[in-house]
Amino acid sequence: MTKGITLVILCMAAITGFSPNRSAVAAEAPYKRTVESLSMPDVVLVNQKGEKVRFKTLVESGKPVVVDFIYATCTTICPILSAGFTNLQRKQGVDSAKFQLISITIDPENDSPPVLTEYLERYQARPGWDFLTGSRADINKVMNSFGAFFPNKMSHRPYNFIRTNDQGKWVKLDGMIGGRDLLNEIEKVGVK
Amino acid sequence: MRENVLLSNRITLWRVALLFLATLFVQPPGSLAAQDISDLAPAEIIRLGEQMYLKGLLPSGKPMQAYVSGDIPMEGTSFTCVSCHLHSGIGSFEANIATPPTNGRILYQERKPYIKGFENVPSYHRYASYFPVRPAYTDETLAALITTGFDPTGRSVLKVMPRYDLDDRDTAIMIAYLKSLSDQFSPGVSENEIKFATVIVEGVDPAAVAAMLLPLENQINRKNSQALTYQSSPRLARMANNVMGPDLGAKKFSLARWVLKGAPETWRAQLDAYYRAEPVFALLGGISDGEWEPVHRFCEENRIPDLLPQTDYPVLSNSDWYTLYFSRGVRQEGEAAARYLHSMYDLFAGRAVVQVVRDGRVGKALGEGFREVWATTGHPAPVEIVLPEGEALSGERLRQIVAEHKPAALLLWDDATVLAALEGLPDQAGRPGMVIASSSYLGKEMWNISESLRDLLYLTYPFRLPQEEGRFDVALKGVLAGKNPSDYDQKILRRSYIVGELLSKSLVQMRGEYYRDYLLDVVGMMADSVFPLYERLGFGPGQRYASKGCFIVQLGKGANPQLERRSEWVTQ
Repeated sequence: MTKGITLVILCMAAITGFSPNRSAVAAEAPYKRTVESLSMPDVVLVNQKGEKVRFKTLVESGKPVVVDFIYATCTTICPILSAGFTNLQRKQGVDSAKFQLISITIDPENDSPPVLTEYLERYQARPGWDFLTGSRADINKVMNSFGAFFPNKMSHRPYNFIRTNDQGKWVKLDGMIGGRDLLNEIEKVGVK
Repeated sequence: MRENVLLSNRITLWRVALLFLATLFVQPPGSLAAQDISDLAPAEIIRLGEQMYLKGLLPSGKPMQAYVSGDIPMEGTSFTCVSCHLHSGIGSFEANIATPPTNGRILYQERKPYIKGFENVPSYHRYASYFPVRPAYTDETLAALITTGFDPTGRSVLKVMPRYDLDDRDTAIMIAYLKSLSDQFSPGVSENEIKFATVIVEGVDPAAVAAMLLPLENQINRKNSQALTYQSSPRLARMANNVMGPDLGAKKFSLARWVLKGAPETWRAQLDAYYRAEPVFALLGGISDGEWEPVHRFCEENRIPDLLPQTDYPVLSNSDWYTLYFSRGVRQEGEAAARYLHSMYDLFAGRAVVQVVRDGRVGKALGEGFREVWATTGHPAPVEIVLPEGEALSGERLRQIVAEHKPAALLLWDDATVLAALEGLPDQAGRPGMVIASSSYLGKEMWNISESLRDLLYLTYPFRLPQEEGRFDVALKGVLAGKNPSDYDQKILRRSYIVGELLSKSLVQMRGEYYRDYLLDVVGMMADSVFPLYERLGFGPGQRYASKGCFIVQLGKGANPQLERRSEWVTQ
């Protein structure tokens, strides 16, 4: 056991560089990983620019896709999920356009395109991360298609969905996943 | 300062190791707390601390530097303390995720796996047990948490809370601010009483005032009756303690009427005088036929919540905090019309959209709402025609407008006198495919739209359809006991009923933490609720307008027509 502690200390010391201003290792929270067969609804949503977006076309464009469900004024789950997307785009650098990040609002009453734009700016989103809104009925269809129906925005859960190369198969990650884990999960489904 | 409740089960030895590292390799904590900020006046320390907490700006005015997930650099303006811990610092809840309190009073107490006074209340007991136990913070350990992300047990919170690059002086200012946050109960609350007031602008129809007051006073009386009952029985008192919190069941409620007279410019002095004479915890409802802004400003500057005043002209602001409105007012109907037309714009084939606006407060609000949303959806500005006050739109003038512009859609923001001018329009060549008017502006005359106009005329309707509202009559029964329902304006009555219900639920959820900011935080965290009148009503953290929707409807056929829905509640 003592050996384990020593190892932890050595690893931490190496990573932090003995400085408070260098990165520290985040403790890893558990998350649940499952593979789901999902069928996407053919609905038209609206992106942050106010443009109509055929949802099915966007998610089935051939690019790897990561989807999460958030809303703009959320104070608990969404900032963490969105920081994960920010991290993902930063880590991928110029390659971030190789995959499509999609955030879908669960509060379409409040989240109009200008609100979505402001949110993406706050998280320093790059091209390749779209935030979608729409009518309540269409948003409900999308939530239901992912098995992630939240009748109320205050009762939603931290889900990330990654589309795999296997037709109709998605990896569902349930939990407050860290940036490194999310990157690993994406790499597992074939995005480098 | 955000901790993930899911991280509670760490292995002790790993904790020890991390704590060891945190204390060994980070900046010596003693120097952070020892920083002398006594050169700053106490009020200045609070102002600077609040600036960091709310806006993420250092005392220098530069953005705080935050590191998210340990190593992702972000400006602190994106990850402010208030984003998660909320204005009061009491923290937030959402589903099974909770953000713990960050006010000094709680931080500097040891956290035990229960909340004193709530040991037998399952829901609140669960709240406490979500968070891992920890010793009381000291200035040193709190400084270490903020700047390194490790708490006094050595537990990392970096996955869910940024760490902030603050120098010793700025850290000391932040800590001083946290100590002041939600430290003393807000004015208007004493051990035995909570005081509220409602603002009534002189000149409002007395029947409307009566409809506004009835549900509020009913709620206050009901609460006070409960208190009497609970005080008479120890068993009921224990029950009240469990259900309503440690002292809410015993507190006496009062509701003062603050009547504002004369010109709006004089209201501020009247409000100040009322408040000086009797400070209240919050304003409930209130009613005005016109202006509300002086009351809004009074609340903002004195940090007094106002729950849902009845006004067609709320103050629209993305940053003001203390007044919660039912909606964006009559203007919201203009905005809804723009979104509805946007959804079918492809069918317009380049034809114009014409907006006819009555030169008055209602017409202008509707016109502005339409114009603004229409512009954000990227369409060319509508053709605008202003009708002078007091000059009715004639049928001939309307025919000229249509003949000149051949619009795809015509918006008529006018009162019911416009209906006569519309009579010949259905037969006119090149007429628009649809005409949209405001149900609020037409008033009860909307039910008298002639059969010949009903296919052409669409209405903005910002409420649940009347034929679907009957199920809420039961909820109002208690309020109307012994009264004649037809004596009361149903919309005003129902809105006021919502205020009472919202207050009641919020106070229970506040668990005895009587801070004005916490009242607003709690309302923001409440689930969208099924209430009378509005199809969907809810806030969300920081949101200030509860109802965001509006139906587009048409009047059905027959002598007793119903409204027929032509759109969803929300169209983007």
